[in-house]
Amino acid sequence: MAGRLWAVLFLTSATLGCTGVSADSEHFGRVTPPEGQTLRYISGSEPQTMDPQVGTGQPEARIYMALFDGLTEHHPQTNQPMPSLAERWEVNEDNSEFVFHMRRDARWSDGEPITAQDMVYSWRRALSPELAAPNAYLAFHIKYSQAYNESGFFVRDPESGRYVLDSDISGEVDGLGPLESNSGMTPFRRFMSGPMRLTLPGDEESQQTLYRANPRLAEWVRGKDLVPVTAADMGIEAVDPYTLRVTLSQPVPFFPGLLTHQFLRPVPEQVIEAHGDDWTDVENIVTSGPFLLETYQAYDKIVVVKSPTYWDADRVRLEQITFYPMEEATTMMNLYKAGVVDAVFNHVVPIAWLDQIGPLLDYMNAPENAIEYYIFNTTQPPMDDIRVRRAFNAAVDKVALAEFKRTAKPLTAFSPEGIFPGYVQPVGDDFDVDRARRLLAEAGYSDANGDYDPSTFPIGEVELTYNTTESNRQVAEFVQAQWRQNLGLTVGLKNMEWQAYLEDTRTMAFKGIARRGWVGDYMDPYTFLELFATPTGNNGSGWFSPEYLENLNRGNSSLDPEERFRLLAEAEAQILEVQPIIPLFTNSTNWMKKPYVKGMYPNPGTMHPWKYVYIEHDPALWDRGTPSLVPDGKYQEPSD
Amino acid sequence: MLRFVIRRLMVTLPMILVVVSLTWGLIRLAPGNFYTGEKVLPPAIEQNIREKYGLDQPWYVQYGRMLSNTLHGDFGNSLRYQGQSVNEILRNSLPVSASIGLAAYLLALLVGVTTGAISALRQNSGLDHASMGFAMIGISLPNFVLGPILVLTFALTFFWLPPARWEGFWSLNTILPVVTLSLVYMAYIARLSRSGMLEVLRSNYIRTARAKGLKEKDVVIRHGLRGGLLPVVSFTGPALALLITGTVVVERVFALPGLGQYFINANLNRDEPLIIGIVAFMSITVLLFNLLVDVAYGFFDPRVRY
Repeated sequence: MAGRLWAVLFLTSATLGCTGVSADSEHFGRVTPPEGQTLRYISGSEPQTMDPQVGTGQPEARIYMALFDGLTEHHPQTNQPMPSLAERWEVNEDNSEFVFHMRRDARWSDGEPITAQDMVYSWRRALSPELAAPNAYLAFHIKYSQAYNESGFFVRDPESGRYVLDSDISGEVDGLGPLESNSGMTPFRRFMSGPMRLTLPGDEESQQTLYRANPRLAEWVRGKDLVPVTAADMGIEAVDPYTLRVTLSQPVPFFPGLLTHQFLRPVPEQVIEAHGDDWTDVENIVTSGPFLLETYQAYDKIVVVKSPTYWDADRVRLEQITFYPMEEATTMMNLYKAGVVDAVFNHVVPIAWLDQIGPLLDYMNAPENAIEYYIFNTTQPPMDDIRVRRAFNAAVDKVALAEFKRTAKPLTAFSPEGIFPGYVQPVGDDFDVDRARRLLAEAGYSDANGDYDPSTFPIGEVELTYNTTESNRQVAEFVQAQWRQNLGLTVGLKNMEWQAYLEDTRTMAFKGIARRGWVGDYMDPYTFLELFATPTGNNGSGWFSPEYLENLNRGNSSLDPEERFRLLAEAEAQILEVQPIIPLFTNSTNWMKKPYVKGMYPNPGTMHPWKYVYIEHDPALWDRGTPSLVPDGKYQEPSD
Repeated sequence: MLRFVIRRLMVTLPMILVVVSLTWGLIRLAPGNFYTGEKVLPPAIEQNIREKYGLDQPWYVQYGRMLSNTLHGDFGNSLRYQGQSVNEILRNSLPVSASIGLAAYLLALLVGVTTGAISALRQNSGLDHASMGFAMIGISLPNFVLGPILVLTFALTFFWLPPARWEGFWSLNTILPVVTLSLVYMAYIARLSRSGMLEVLRSNYIRTARAKGLKEKDVVIRHGLRGGLLPVVSFTGPALALLITGTVVVERVFALPGLGQYFINANLNRDEPLIIGIVAFMSITVLLFNLLVDVAYGFFDPRVRY
């Protein structure tokens, strides 16, 4: 009897042994296209909502892209902005004002035209304190939008009716000239092109903090009226039904790129006003994109079908897309292998499977608009010493780390490598153990002869904090081993549950070093560089330099893209000089699609404009390997 | 009997309030909030969110609101899934978890009791050793190992069954999750009913039944099983309650839109109303099933009187 039991066990293990990828196969699992033009796509976590102004994640963004059009849309290969609802745009001499000319044939799915007024409504809603959108910060470049979102105030002299200006407080002489000289303008235009008014935060407490910090401000405000900043004060104006003018509080050359973001896509006023929070229900929702929402079943599937009212409907070849929200990588890979789905979202292939999957033709991998790095707590010794920070950075072999990670590219700078065409990245310190030890010796951790001595280093003050995931642990252990081997220092590892880790890094309670990752919000190096443009927020290191901010702003004011990139690169070099970070690697996209899925590319954001995607039934035309990311002219190129 | 049930039901409500209060306190203690993400929010945006969801109010106001919601059986809206009420989520996901869980338990009962009873009747035979060996494997094999093995075999090697996803209860998709879920219970039940039967078959009243000339079939089924299954009955209460309210691992491995997935994610997302709603629902189910088990004792065991 026991023999029979063993027979069964043997059979089971034999079955297991012969599965997996067969060596002769070019693809992972079944390659049978679905009938007709239907795409089945695994989109990641369960979406928070179908409201693009509320949902923040990438899994949501990919579904919103099917349903909602933007003024601009991602290019399928480069993710750079392409004209969409906006046919073209103009920009003023310092990148601070954009005029968008919207296409006249765009319609909501209920047949109503999509106009500049819809944009005004949408952005006012997006930024309203009542909606409380977590993504609101993305639009803070729009003039006075931050003050409106924070329920802030202008300050007005009750006698003269004059508003207090920023320049009054800073003490710079900046007269009221522009107000006078542009007398032919509408009052709103005069207001927008005039000098920046002083705004105060909404709550009393923050106001008092500001007064205490700046007595001059308190003096200016005393006895004045506080006038609430309203939605109508923001720099968003419908010049005519199809012309939208946006005034920004600072130069933002990448603004058209920002418009591809879900947060800035228009939403239908007529439905939101009628149904409130229920406007996204399947029976109520009105959309603007190439597809219509047909079915929404939480944790199960979201089905969208081709929209007949979409302005570019002739180009749309898919009749239907089914999005499957899912979180288990193995389950996704199983469904993909069994041919139940045609493509999956990014970061899905488990590292342990890469030996088998990596060489296959349907494996998609390319650099991503995302990096991994460690931050130093520069406010506490020993990491308040640049030499120590540089030593810890130079003692990590990034090339070996990338090889160990398998899907990543080594990084020595602070912006991802090779995804921003024309941007010449500065090169950070390379791997150099001798220099690292010398630097530490110079910092005072040396013996009597002046040679580096690990026993003098206060290792108890340093630990490496990371949030608990398998891959973060592997990287942390790798880096820990590097320091042990190269510096003779064993840095303690501290893993924390996600929310606890966020709290610790946000309040800078971490000791020495903490893990960070950043996914770009748009396709421009500035989405990384701006992390250090403020001492708080996502900076995390405690390092901040007004000079650095100055460099960034100078770069952004430049109309010449080459000059701008040069200045941004200079600023980035400044970060690498001070080394508040240890760059680790540029992430890569790491996903799969069947060869018959065409028009889908491993672009840096894994953002697929669905109108270009289709199912190819002729095997002769299938993709063989990774399709090229170089724009081939099949798609509209960005206008100026 | 009726008085017993009423007395038990009266204790249930305070118990549920204690459970949700403890849960509520634990959520407060855990760091982070439903809106904290990798990107740090500017303080003003955080303030907007806190105002919108009433998180800026004093704790006793928030606690009172939660208690009142619980007492009304309306847990409010999920914080994470905008526009979805907790009740709606329970309504949609419960049938999936419950049907899978119930089917798995019925399968486990059917196979488990049969195997257990036969093993007891043929104690120490080859059949007995084989089935108890299998039961041991079933108990020790966690379902996150068993699930993938079944998928690998039946979905990815022979392509007989779909590897995952929900297509309604009456579909091929249901087979693998039900089998995965039921194996461990099958094993427990087999062992419980075997030992229960062994004990009963040696007891005096069985000897009496045999002595008065009853047919062996009647002895085993009418007298033996009734007593021998008592351990299974007491096991059924909590087991069924847990099965019906969703099983995280199986739901994730097979991508089923059940309550278990919501529960784990609600905790990770600090989605307070959803956590409270699911915890309250789970406690009600557990308490109710325990009550049912206690009532069922009266029918199975003539010695029990209320």
